[in-house]
Amino acid sequence: MLWLVVFLGVAVAIQARQSAAIATARRVATLREQRTALEAERSALERQIHVATSRRVLGDRAERDLGLMQPQDSQFTLFPIDRVRP
Amino acid sequence: MARATARITLIEVVLGLGLVAVVLRAGQLQLVEGGRWRAEAQRARQERRVLEARRGGIFDRNGVQLAVTQEYFHVGIAPNELREPGADARVIARALGMPLRTVQHDLATRKWIPYRGPFSGLQVQPLRELRGVHLDGEFARHSPAGNLARAVIGTLMPDSARGASGIEMALDSILTGTPGEAVLLKDRAGRRYDSPARLQREPVPGNDVYLTLDAELQEIAERALDEAMSRFEADGGDIVILDPHTGELLALASRKLVEGKVVANRASFFTDPFEPGSTAKLFTAGGLLARRRVTPGDAVPVDNGQLVMQVSSRGDTRTIRDAHKTNGNISLAEAIKISSNVAMALFSQRLSAPEQFEALRDFGFGSPTGVEFPSEARGALRMPDRWDGYSKASIAMGYEFQVTPVQLAAAYAAIANDGILLTPTLVREIRAVNGQVAYAHQPEPVRRAVSPEVAKILRGYLRSVLEEGGTAEGAQLANYSLAGKTGTAQKNEGKGYVAGRYTASFAAIFPADDPQLVVVVKIDDPKGTYYGGQTAAPLTRSMLEEALAARQSAIDRMRLVEAAPGAGIAAGAPAPESDAPPEPPEQRAVVVLPVGDSEVKRGRTLVPRVAGGSLRRAANALHRRGFRVAVHGSGTVMRTTPSEGDSASVGSLVTVWAE
Repeated sequence: MLWLVVFLGVAVAIQARQSAAIATARRVATLREQRTALEAERSALERQIHVATSRRVLGDRAERDLGLMQPQDSQFTLFPIDRVRP
Repeated sequence: MARATARITLIEVVLGLGLVAVVLRAGQLQLVEGGRWRAEAQRARQERRVLEARRGGIFDRNGVQLAVTQEYFHVGIAPNELREPGADARVIARALGMPLRTVQHDLATRKWIPYRGPFSGLQVQPLRELRGVHLDGEFARHSPAGNLARAVIGTLMPDSARGASGIEMALDSILTGTPGEAVLLKDRAGRRYDSPARLQREPVPGNDVYLTLDAELQEIAERALDEAMSRFEADGGDIVILDPHTGELLALASRKLVEGKVVANRASFFTDPFEPGSTAKLFTAGGLLARRRVTPGDAVPVDNGQLVMQVSSRGDTRTIRDAHKTNGNISLAEAIKISSNVAMALFSQRLSAPEQFEALRDFGFGSPTGVEFPSEARGALRMPDRWDGYSKASIAMGYEFQVTPVQLAAAYAAIANDGILLTPTLVREIRAVNGQVAYAHQPEPVRRAVSPEVAKILRGYLRSVLEEGGTAEGAQLANYSLAGKTGTAQKNEGKGYVAGRYTASFAAIFPADDPQLVVVVKIDDPKGTYYGGQTAAPLTRSMLEEALAARQSAIDRMRLVEAAPGAGIAAGAPAPESDAPPEPPEQRAVVVLPVGDSEVKRGRTLVPRVAGGSLRRAANALHRRGFRVAVHGSGTVMRTTPSEGDSASVGSLVTVWAE
């Protein structure tokens, strides 16, 4: 009788381990899918940001809508920012 | 009885033989053919799958994504497996961006619907929960920065993830990862199940490559070239921007007119050599100075810019003319400043052919630069034993040899770098998937082309080109010194030089005093105005102005202010009033003032009242009146020189004193 109990115990342990492995595999697959989706979203957003902030788009709009122009080097000044004293 | 016994014995023997046969067969199956049958069983229950490794990304020097690999999906739908075809059709149509009617029609009429896409992971995410929707993933290359630096990055082969051109090809083995392997479990119905216990080998992604390119400068260069193509109706052009102290290529742009359309995918800055014309005069000048064949007082007669030169012992002659005619004797410095062909032809006679060849070879001409790019051209520089009687003069003027724009930039970088020629590079860093730096570029000296003293003299010559009377006098910046050399070379199209067709070019060092950038601009066959000083040089100036005003730029502004007296606050820092050493400025900010042309009046104007306000407000008000501004001190503005209310010339310098 003991051998039957041992056999059942081992069988249940194996089954539990396999079930946990399959659940983990599903979880890993889900996370992988989410990561793929997030990467795609990030990439799409980066592309949109790149296009929207490119000189071709932003520069033209600034000139057309706001009347700004690309400054010549005599039209801007480099300022120092003093060291912040404690 | 005996017969019965015999029958029983026979049955026993038959059964025994049968048993033996069974045992033998079992032995054969288990022992002899066991391996084969085990493999067969495994094949039925398991499936091996190669796990594709993600290809490494390509980034600019600041981490801007230029080319990355993403997983894309093809979608397959089995209508008979869908739980709620009506609702599912709406989800599918919305996710894939397709008309609902098309999806409904497909679901109603077909047994299997393949939508090839490819669709991004974001698009297919809502479909993952739907039964009957099958996703087939594959990696594909994606360019978040659009076509930026397309010619440098290159492409992949259409049917594989291997590099076909550009950096994708040159660094293919570094970018390509190592595929992994997994075993999938299958049930009797053939359904597959993932199991982590069955992962044989994890795929290892490829390394990420960080280029030396600066996306901001690259965009400035590409945009400038597009404008030049349009403004000058040019056939093509190239722009190279390089850091002379490291050899790092910061921007590389090319355009070419092909069948009426402008294409941007040719890396002609590496692959297309051209005769540089006058931009190459400097290298013969370097050879003359290095070998002490010219002293500062030496001059040659230019005779109204025309020279008839005997080029053979038979009395054959060639006539050399200057575009900018002058009379009398001129020095080597003046020859560079006004780009005199006659003077350079005469000076070049002081070098032997091997010496002139060595001078050019020392600057890297005639050899590939060694940059990490496939199919880089070596240019063309013939051995001196193949030169004719005119070659020395011709080569001194920038003809009879060919250079790529990158070779020319590297040679100018040697002059900016106190005479040391560096190998130009495109790769700044290579990082493994765990973020560990596998390679970091260090400057690679090739040789000393000229001594530091000669390099300094040559930089002085280049500076004079942008001064009054120089061939690029209009291209000088107002506050920061630019040095450079113009070139206008007649084009040789195989059957000799073609009248009216030119290559305009300008090679510049910025700033002249403490060089940070070398810029080479080449414009092929500009229409109308074709001189390098009127086409490529102003383009260089406008690019540098954009780079100076850019929010992020490869230009070190702290070094720039120190090298440009009068341009910024560091120029006239007041003497410290106490014994304590002054605190060095730690950071600098650029203030860009949007001033329209209409707001700047010509002539003289009054200095506005700015005392009591902030420096920013003061600078803004003064710039609006058209003044240049120098700032002393920081904090609140106390006074200006000239004082408020005084009249001063537009464009003159107003010093602002602040405390």
